[in-house]
Amino acid sequence: MRLVKAEVVKLLTTNTWWLFALGALVTWAGTFAINATVAHFTMGAAAPEGVSTEDAANFAVVSDQIYQAANLYTSGQFFGLLFVVLLGIVMVTSEFYHQTATSTFLTTPHRTAVISAKLVVAAVAGLLFWLFTTALNIPATMIFLGAEDLPTHLGDSIVQRAILLNGLAYLLWGILGVGIGVLIRSQIAATVTSVLAYLLGTALIGVLFTLLAGWLNQDWIEKIQYGLPSVASGLMVAGRNLPNQPDYWVGAVVLIIWAVVTGTIGTLITRRRDIS
Amino acid sequence: MSDGQIVVSGLTKRYKNLLAVDDLSFSVASGRVTGFLGPNGAGKTTTLRMLLNLVTPTGGTATIGGRRYADLTDPLRTVGAVLEASSAHRGRTGRNHLRVLCAAAGLPSHRADEVLEMVGLTPAAKRKFKGYSLGMRQRLGIAAAMLGDPHVLILDEPANGLDPEGIRWMRSFLQGLAQQGRTVLVSSHLLSEMELLADDVVIIAAGKLVRQGPVAEVLASMTTTAHVRVRTPQAEALTAALTEVPGASVTPRSDGTLLVTGVEAPAIGKAALAGGVELHELTPERPDLEGVFLELTAGKAGIR
Repeated sequence: MRLVKAEVVKLLTTNTWWLFALGALVTWAGTFAINATVAHFTMGAAAPEGVSTEDAANFAVVSDQIYQAANLYTSGQFFGLLFVVLLGIVMVTSEFYHQTATSTFLTTPHRTAVISAKLVVAAVAGLLFWLFTTALNIPATMIFLGAEDLPTHLGDSIVQRAILLNGLAYLLWGILGVGIGVLIRSQIAATVTSVLAYLLGTALIGVLFTLLAGWLNQDWIEKIQYGLPSVASGLMVAGRNLPNQPDYWVGAVVLIIWAVVTGTIGTLITRRRDIS
Repeated sequence: MSDGQIVVSGLTKRYKNLLAVDDLSFSVASGRVTGFLGPNGAGKTTTLRMLLNLVTPTGGTATIGGRRYADLTDPLRTVGAVLEASSAHRGRTGRNHLRVLCAAAGLPSHRADEVLEMVGLTPAAKRKFKGYSLGMRQRLGIAAAMLGDPHVLILDEPANGLDPEGIRWMRSFLQGLAQQGRTVLVSSHLLSEMELLADDVVIIAAGKLVRQGPVAEVLASMTTTAHVRVRTPQAEALTAALTEVPGASVTPRSDGTLLVTGVEAPAIGKAALAGGVELHELTPERPDLEGVFLELTAGKAGIR
């Protein structure tokens, strides 16, 4: 408990947390505006004439109110998760960047306990980011749907599931951040790698696997992309499955595996590492 | 306070192709300031970091009061350490840096203000670390080490970056702590400083122990032969006169003086008087710690 308190004090006595929260707020506002615009034009609309049956099936799901409501209530996830993972990374790498690891491990020679405290605090910080965006999403979505003369859908179990699983995603990304931070100790390398992998990698690998699947005519290859943490978390909060998409819980399982594996490997490495 | 004794025994650290510390054994008594000396790269920092469980030894043990650092129940209340890389987050204030440590060690947060007062940093308590001068950073490191009021203090090159005023402050501070019965182990490559500060010295070179003991003893062990500096306008006459004295040997020096070894100053004066040689200077030379140090570590220093 001491160590958790120490990690909280560490987090609150530098500028990182509120800068990241500000980033999450700004990107949330942008994402919500885009999501609302898309929802406005797709909900209830019929599929355009002359598209393939496959595209028509996709369109039917996307134009579904529940799909759009779940998407709106979880707005800001894409960038919110990025800020949460960066926060987790910085919690570890700043110790090496600012050489505070020495005093941290002098105070607490039990390194597993230190990393565990970081995992707990990063997970809780992730949850707080979720609470923060959800507290903005719920009234904003209700107002938007009200203006569209539509029900809020907040009582719908699929929408509620999406909101709660969104919380799980935020929590797991906090843990993932600590794991990445331990694996890539250099602050700059860890943050740049993560941001690039998150922003570019997600899109590139999605395209790559889709192309590969088409080329080799093997549908399963396309599904490999759901093994990526970012794609998996999007899947987790989907209100309706797109055709050809795994179920939402697959996303949750994938994310949990990532968080556990990086967290465990990170802790084991830290136990052995020489601090100099 | 015998519980503050540091014992290093057979300590070894091998990196890929470098034996940084090689079967090193020494002990450090409480109530005294012990200087840990060696040229740069001798393995001082690696030894201290192994003692503090930051670096895992390849072999051997290091204990404080009979226990390994990792086994101490309350490390901050037992050992305070100021390492070369002691640092704080640039964007955090000095006071908050100490409060983080208080939280982790279960100490009340008002200890942060007390130790800041102790090292004279109170006016800068709420300033961010990036605005601290090197001297202020060292003081903050000492403040952090004093948080738990420990029996044992370990400092790695604490004089680095301090101005003369800061060095003098550090010296009296550490000597005061030793007088209270605490164990104080200070590493340095600044020998003149150690001569003023330390009671005992442990000298290492190339990862191996070279000499250990009280400063005076280590110095005395090196003064087996007398060294006397002689200045005379009649160098040849004196050299001739000294050939009569058994054991004496004369070496001309580049500054025009003669170095006479093997005999004491009175014997030289007597020989000069007997030979009618005019003397301008007759000075016995005691090797200082620096001379001893250079002699002991000659050829072992430098890049490995």
